[in-house]
Parts: sequence; structure tokens; C-alpha cells
Amino acid sequence: MTSLIIVSVLAVAVLYLGLFKYKTALLPVSVTGLLAAAAMAAMDWDLEKMYFSEMMLFDNYAVAFSILLILTTLLIFGLSRNYFEKISNNVAEYYALMLFALAGGVVMVSFHNLAMLFIGIEILSISLYVLAGIRRKDPASNEASLKYFLMGAFATGFLLFGTALIYGATGSFNLAAIASSGAFESALFRAGVLLMMVGLSFKVSVAPFHTWTPDVYEGSPGLIAMFMATVVKTAGFAAFLRLFLMAFAEASAFWAITVAILCILTLFAGNITAVFQDRFKRLLAWSSVSHAGYLLLAILAVGFSASSAVLVYTIAYSLASVAAFGIMILVSRARGNDHLDSFNGLARTNPFLAFTLTLAVCSLAGIPLTAGFFGKFYVFKVALAQGYTWLVVLAVINAMIGIYYYFKVIIAMYMKENANAVAIQLNPGFRLVLSIVVFLIFLFGIFPGLIANIL
Amino acid sequence: MILVWLILILLLGGLLSWLASRWNVLLARWIALGAVAVNFVLTAGIWFGNPVPVGWVAELDLEWIPRFGIHFHLALDGLSLLMLLLTFFLGMLGVLCSWKEISYRPGFFHFNLLWVLAGITGVFLTMDLFLFYFFWEVMLIPMYFLIGIWGHANRIYAAFKFFIFTQASGLFMLLAILSLYYVQAQQTGVYSFDYFDFLETPLPFKTAQWLMFGFLIAFIVKLPAFPFHNWLPDAHGEAPTAGSLVLAGLLLKTGAYGLLRFVVPLFPEPAMAFAPWGMLMGVIGILYGGKLAFAQNDLKRLIAYTSVSHMGFVMLGVFAFTELAYQGVVMQMITHGISTGALFLLAGMLYERTHTRDITRMGGLWKSSPALGAAMMVFVMASLGLPGLGNFIAEFLTLNGSWPANRLLTALAAVGLVIATVYSLRIMQKVFFGPMPQTWPAADLKPREYLIMIPLIAAIIWLGLFPQKTIETSGHAVTEISLKKGGSR
Amino acid sequence: MLTQSLFYFLSFLAIFSALAVIIAKNPVHSVLYLILTFFAITGHYILLNAQFLAIVNMIVYAGAIMVLFLFVLMLLNLNAETEPQKPAYIKIAGVVSGGLLLLVLVGALKTVDVSGAGGTTATDMGLVENLGMVLFNEFLLPFELASVLLLTAMVGAVLIGRREA
Repeated sequence: MTSLIIVSVLAVAVLYLGLFKYKTALLPVSVTGLLAAAAMAAMDWDLEKMYFSEMMLFDNYAVAFSILLILTTLLIFGLSRNYFEKISNNVAEYYALMLFALAGGVVMVSFHNLAMLFIGIEILSISLYVLAGIRRKDPASNEASLKYFLMGAFATGFLLFGTALIYGATGSFNLAAIASSGAFESALFRAGVLLMMVGLSFKVSVAPFHTWTPDVYEGSPGLIAMFMATVVKTAGFAAFLRLFLMAFAEASAFWAITVAILCILTLFAGNITAVFQDRFKRLLAWSSVSHAGYLLLAILAVGFSASSAVLVYTIAYSLASVAAFGIMILVSRARGNDHLDSFNGLARTNPFLAFTLTLAVCSLAGIPLTAGFFGKFYVFKVALAQGYTWLVVLAVINAMIGIYYYFKVIIAMYMKENANAVAIQLNPGFRLVLSIVVFLIFLFGIFPGLIANIL
Repeated sequence: MILVWLILILLLGGLLSWLASRWNVLLARWIALGAVAVNFVLTAGIWFGNPVPVGWVAELDLEWIPRFGIHFHLALDGLSLLMLLLTFFLGMLGVLCSWKEISYRPGFFHFNLLWVLAGITGVFLTMDLFLFYFFWEVMLIPMYFLIGIWGHANRIYAAFKFFIFTQASGLFMLLAILSLYYVQAQQTGVYSFDYFDFLETPLPFKTAQWLMFGFLIAFIVKLPAFPFHNWLPDAHGEAPTAGSLVLAGLLLKTGAYGLLRFVVPLFPEPAMAFAPWGMLMGVIGILYGGKLAFAQNDLKRLIAYTSVSHMGFVMLGVFAFTELAYQGVVMQMITHGISTGALFLLAGMLYERTHTRDITRMGGLWKSSPALGAAMMVFVMASLGLPGLGNFIAEFLTLNGSWPANRLLTALAAVGLVIATVYSLRIMQKVFFGPMPQTWPAADLKPREYLIMIPLIAAIIWLGLFPQKTIETSGHAVTEISLKKGGSR
Repeated sequence: MLTQSLFYFLSFLAIFSALAVIIAKNPVHSVLYLILTFFAITGHYILLNAQFLAIVNMIVYAGAIMVLFLFVLMLLNLNAETEPQKPAYIKIAGVVSGGLLLLVLVGALKTVDVSGAGGTTATDMGLVENLGMVLFNEFLLPFELASVLLLTAMVGAVLIGRREA
């Protein structure tokens, strides 16, 4: 709770800094505030505190995901130095919007009432509608913003309708009350669950509600796309799982098959389309769709390990995405576009970048020694524990497809040459963030116990 | 503890070598050579201390991820010991043969080479199936880079094909490992990936059969057995010399090792049921590989197809379920590692001199480089199974052991020896004798190349004349495995 | 009795005008029908004794937002000819999925036992006083957080709307 207050106040403070033109103070203040927020969140560990007539519950689940969201935002801020300045004059507002979005994310991982879920999702989404359209003179950015807004508004409608039906069936917004209402057999409740599932699927880009993803990622500025792929996705899945774990777990026999079908659709839609992409950003967008599929596997396994599996997976995925998007930004800035050919010869000009991207991509593909391998392993494991062998077989086939397209970029970097490529200059922020990410991907890849035992 | 060091030395040596290459390339090469040599000495030390190992010579069991019952469990028996000796022996030669060949980004090259070796070492040592999969995959990425960066013209395609084949089959093994984990938990309530726990678990036949196929696919793709051999000629043909050496000499052996160590002991009944098909695949591999080898003009592809043929004997032996055949398989793994490794090294040396791999463009090289020709002669003879050289022992034991299991298939496999003679002699004929289509710069073996070739020749002759030492070393482990057959637990 | 006939009349009006919104060719007509829909729903709120909601719905939706819509539409001068035609398969897919959704919802609503449906049965729930009590007691946190939401939206609107220097 304290961390939520800090993040919200920080956002307002950043707005004021912008008003008084303290542009140099923006980043230090944000970083300090975020560190404080993370520390305050950590203080809530094991306390299981309820706030404001059970509106929010800061259990370990909420704390762990809050810290993950805050730290990921911190990494993204580390890359943001001189980034927004190139796009717009109103730098402070963008920091503030990202912080507001983060506040929404924190609400989404700690809600204990459907009203809070709704407000959290809206805070997050509204900020992102604006952030996606930062580049006002760029039609692609406008398109991204508008598309995201329309689709998001549509999804919100489903979510609200579902919430209303569930209220009708159970008489409460409170997760615990819903779980103990015993109304799981009623058709009203079931329709509510399905509609909420549709609404949330839109937000986390689960097929067949994923169609906005590639265009929005492509049109948005790289850093915002990174934010969407990491913070938004993590928050969305944490909310998804929290809702289905705390409120609908008893009814899992009813919704599990739907989730399983969504999972297959998402995996195949994401992976197969990604194979045909030749722009790295679009490739990452489609791969982010496919990762939603793997995460759905964990949601199927409602049980104690599901939250741990999602946490591990999102940590691995966020780290790898920060690195991949970060390097995509650098390359497209230096070489004009994010076509895969632009990565040719990167291993010669920038061995560090090439190595980092290789690691990130291996982590996304789930290859051992990286955190991503363990994430996939864990997700497969919990799904197998629930007896979804056929689903895991399909997921494994998708993992193979994934390797195919992830390796395209490695091939470009290491095995193709670009005669007139020059070394890309890194600013200290990038160097620091990428080094941290490399270290963590290796650390969690070799000692996965560090993150597997959190929840 | 020494087992961890074997892996760590390679990993650290690789990193150090990469770092050192920023200042001094020669230093990087020496570091890489030193790291492998230290491992070789350590392993040889174990061997001399325990020439006839019984049971587990060294073992290490640390908790890794206790929540899932995953252990860092390494153990060494006679079979792993032999494989490790082979690994480090060929590893040293791999570093040596790249001394002049690799000048593009040598630091990264040695990093990858040593990490492949580390992965292979891990595979031969680990007794935890999760860890096994981990090392199984760790071998792949550096190997992918070895082929993809330092290979010949068509390297990207070859590297990719290699990676997709092995990774895809590996994922099936992961699936099987995970399922085995849960099946075991259901049966016994123990959540563990430990090899020894799995050995104790009784499995229903149907389940065991499916799980066995998961493992089997990973191993026979790696081996490779017909019809999964498709990646091999490309990968071997396009890889740099050291890459081909490691691929043929070591990576293929991990597949054979997996069959012996996991498929047969963990799933004896379904393996028995599969045996006729396994032997048939082996025989098809022997004959078809030999036939294709005869049709090749590219020297490296030719040698690659001989590997397919020789690995057929491994399939044949593994699924014969006799102790004699298993001894043959172990011998085959070692002797094939040495002889084919040597052939690839020689192909690399020829390429350095002639800049072609096409044997129709070579010829008459005996005059200019007789020592090279003599070395080639030794290994070509080894490859065709001349008595007195190691391969003869291996193939003889395998055929002898398979005879009681299936006479027809064994007889057909013996025909493979004739084919081997044909394609082997064709190599000598085309490369060293006959007319010389163009004059090559006369260059016989250099001192470094003598240094590489002499130990190899010594080893193959020693294995041929005194196979008893090797058989004794692996004897106990092999007996253990052969006792597993047919529901004996 | 009067309440019941009023309910049926308002429901008919709401459904009819909602259908008309999507059927009407002329966008301006659509918006006008939408306003009619909102009025019908406002009537429902009054029937439910939810005065506050009724007033808010009337002022905010029917009044402010829809008038704004109308202005925008008239300024843009949209008409049927300029509207891009959707391919047939999209139309079919839309009809099928929309129909399925309708089926699920009708099925769900049919089974509801009206008398005992969850939630409160108090008839004075919708009065301003009671609403305020709930909003500032139980739902204080969401209410406060809505301010963050509004602030976000405001910052966003200013950012997008302001002339870039």
C-alpha cells in the first residue's frame, strides 16, 4: 500500500518538476522514488495486510509482483535518458504517465475486489493509450494509439459486463466472497467468468483477441513497446491469475477447457506469424503474443505452484524483453530501421550488444543457462502436473518453432556481414542496464532456486 | 569434487581464453590447450588409480533446486571414465588443429570449443535427469556457433539444420523426463529427477514405451540413426576441422552413451520390444550410410556418411542386449571417435593444402606428402576394420554379440564391412594415387601436425592390440547395464 | 401495473433505438438514436429508484457526451459513401460471434431466479444519501484511486491536445 502511495505521489511530483523545468532532476527523482517504493513493498512481505474494507490484499503474491513491476520500470527508466527528449518537449509528462501506469499495475496485482481490478486496468490502459501516441507527427504512432484505445475500450466493456454478471450471481465484488458464494453452477456466473476472460485476454493479447498487438507495438516508440511487453504484460497476467486463483479456482473444471483452447490458439498464432516477420520489432510483438500462450499454461494449473511459475516466467521474460527491445532501439536508431538485416555484422562492431541480444533471445527461446529456460520448464512442469500432457506436447512443438525465428537475429549478428557498419555508441545508462540484465539472466539461469522459491 | 572441477576448468578456461584473446591470441590458444590438458591429466590420474573400476568411482551430490528435487548430481563409472578420456584427448587435438586454421575471432572460437567440451563432460557425468537435459542443451549453442561462424560456404544452413534437429528432439526428451518425474511421483510419492530413483521405479509397459520414445528420439537423432541422419552430412561437411572433430568424435557419442545409460536401463521392457526395429535401423544405417559414402565427392561429406554407417553398429549392438555387444558398442564409440576424428583432421590438413574438399580434383598426393598419405592410410584401414586396429575389435565384438539376437540382421551388417572396404579404398585411390590433375604446393606434415597425428595413430593401434585394458575399464558398468534386460528388476 | 407497462415500454424503446443505432445509415441519425437509448435507460433507473444514477446518466451521457459526438460528426461530415466497405467474411464472422455471445447471454439470463438474485434488495439503495455512504465507506479506495485515473486522463488529454512548440 505504501508503495502504491509512493508511486502515485511520485508521478505527481514528477509533473511538478516538469512544470518548474527541472528537467535534469526528473530521472534521479524517479529512480529514488521507485527504489523507495520497492523497498516499502518489500516491507509488506509476509504481513498479508488487507486495506480499506478488503479492497486490496498485500499478500506475498502482490508484493512479489509489485516489486517485479517496479524494478522493471526502473530498468526501463535507466534506458530512457535522452530518449523522450528526442520525441517531445514534454518529457516530465511522459515519466509521469509511465509512473501512473505503474501505479495501475500495482493495483492490478494486489486487488481483492473487482472494482479495484477495473480501476487498476483503466489507470494502466489510459496511460498507455497516450504513451503509444507520443510521436504525434508520426501516423504510425497515431494509428497505434487509436487502435489500442478502441480495442482497449471494447475490452473494458467486456470486462465490466462480466463483472456485473458476477455481481449479479454472487452479490459481491469481493474475491473471497465470490469464491465462497457457491454460485459456480449458475449460468450467470459462468457467463460472467467468460466475459471477464475475454476482457483480460484483450489486455494481455491472447489470441484471438491479440490482433492489435503487432500494430500497436510497431507504431509505439521502442521504449513504450518495451514497457508494454514487460510491465503491462506482467501486470495483466498477474491480475488474470489472481482473479482466477482467488475467485474462480473452484469453478476451474468449467473454464479450464476454454483457457486450454485459448492457449493453443495463442501459441500457434503467435509463433507461426512470428516466423514470417522480417522486422525485429514486429517479431518481438508476435513473440510476446506467443509468450502469453505459455503463461496461460500456468493459469490452467490453478494451485500453489501456478503463481510461482508465472512469477518466474514473467521475471525471465521481462529481463529478456528489456534487453531485446533496448538493443532494437539502439540498432534502429543507428541504422535507420529495425529490419533484421540491420543487425548484420553487429557481432563485429559491438560484441557486447551482440552477446547481450543473443542471451536475451536464447532466454526468450528457452535455452538452458538462461532464465527463460527455467521459466518454460516450470510452466511445462505445472501444466504436466495437472495432466495436460497433450497441451504441453503442443507447447513444445511451439517452442521449436520459436527457436527458428529467434535464431534469425543471431544468424544476422554473427554470420552475416555488413561492410559499412560502424560501432554503435552506448550511453552509460544503456551499458549499466544491459549489464545488469545479462548478469541476472545468467544468475537466474544457473541458480533458478533464487526466484523459484519466492512464492 | 574433482568432477565439478572437470567442468569448471573448461568453463573458466573458455572465459579466460576469450578475455585473453583481447591482448594476445597466442596466450588464448595456450590457455585453451592448458585447460583441456589439465582435465586430461586429471582424468588419466583417476584411471591409473582405478584401472578396473567397480561401481561408482567418484560421486558428488549437491542440492540445486530443492523445491523440485533437482540435484547437482555427478558420478563417474568405468563407462563415463572412458568417454571422458576420449573427450579430453580429442579436445586437445581440437585446440591444436585450430592453431593455424582459425584466425577469425580466435578467442570466441576457443570459448565455444571449450564450452562444448564442458557440456559433453557434463552429459557423461550427470546422474540427475534435469541436469542431464541442461548439459545436453549447453552443448548445442556453442556448437551452433562453431559451425555457423567458422564453417565453410554453406555454414548458416548447416548450423541451423543441426540446431533445429537436435533441439527439437531434445525437447521431446525434456517432455519425457518431466513425465517420468510425475509418473514416479504418482507411483512412489518421491519428487526427484535422480537417475537412481528412476531405476527403482516400476513403470506400466504402455507408459514406459511412450517415455522411452521421448528419450530414444533425442538419442537417435544425435547418434544419428537412419532416417534421422539428414543433418549430419551438412553439419560435418560445413564445420571447421575442430568442429567436425568434436561433432564426429564426441557429440555423436553422447547419443550412444544416452542409449546405453538411459534407454536400456530405465526402460528395459519397451527397449526389448523395440529391439528388432532398433537393430533394423542400425543395419539400414550401416548399408545406406556406406552406399552414400561411396557416392560422395566431397571428402568431408564422405567421412560424415561413414559415420552414419559406423553408428549403425552402435544401434545394432545396443539393441542386441548381450554383454558382448555392449562391449563392442563401447569400443566402437571410442575407436570411431579416434578414427573418424583423425580422418576429419586429415581432411582439414588436405583442405589447408589444396583448398578444396572435392576428391575428384585431388590425386597423386602421395608423391608430395607421403607422411600425410601414410597417416591417412592407417585411419582408412581402421575405418574399414583391418585387424590390428581398434575398429576391428569393436565391430567384431558387436557382430559377435548380435549374432544370437538376430542372425539375419547381423549377417547383413557384416556386408557393411565390405562396403566399408570399397569406400575407404576409394578415398586413398582418389586422393593419394592416380594422376595428379594439378600440382599442389608440396607440403608434408609439419611438426604440429605430427604432434596431432602420432598420438592418434598410437591410440588406434594400442586399442587394436591391447583392447583388454579398455574392456576391463568399462566392464563392470557394461555388465550392470546388460543385467537390466528384460524385466530383471 | 403502471410501473410494469412503463417498464415494457421503456425496454422496447431502449432495444428498438439501440438496434436503430447500428442499422441507421446516417451517422447523425445513429447518434440521435443513441441519445434516445440513453433516455430510455434513464427511465429504467428512475423506475429502480436510482435517482442519482438517472440524473448523472441524463446529464453526462445524454447531455454532454452525445452532444459532443453530434458536433464532431457534423464537423467531419461523414456519410455513407465515404465509409469503407468491409469484406463479406468479416461481416459473417461478426454476425456469428455476436450471435453466439447473444445466445450465451440469453441462456445465462434465462436461468436467473429474479426474486432471490444476489445483491441487495433494498429499494432505497439508489438514493444519493445511500450511494454516498457506500462510496465513502466501503468503496473509499476505488473512489480515491479514480482521481488518479482522472488525473492520468487529464494529463493525457492535455498532452495530445496541446500544440507542440
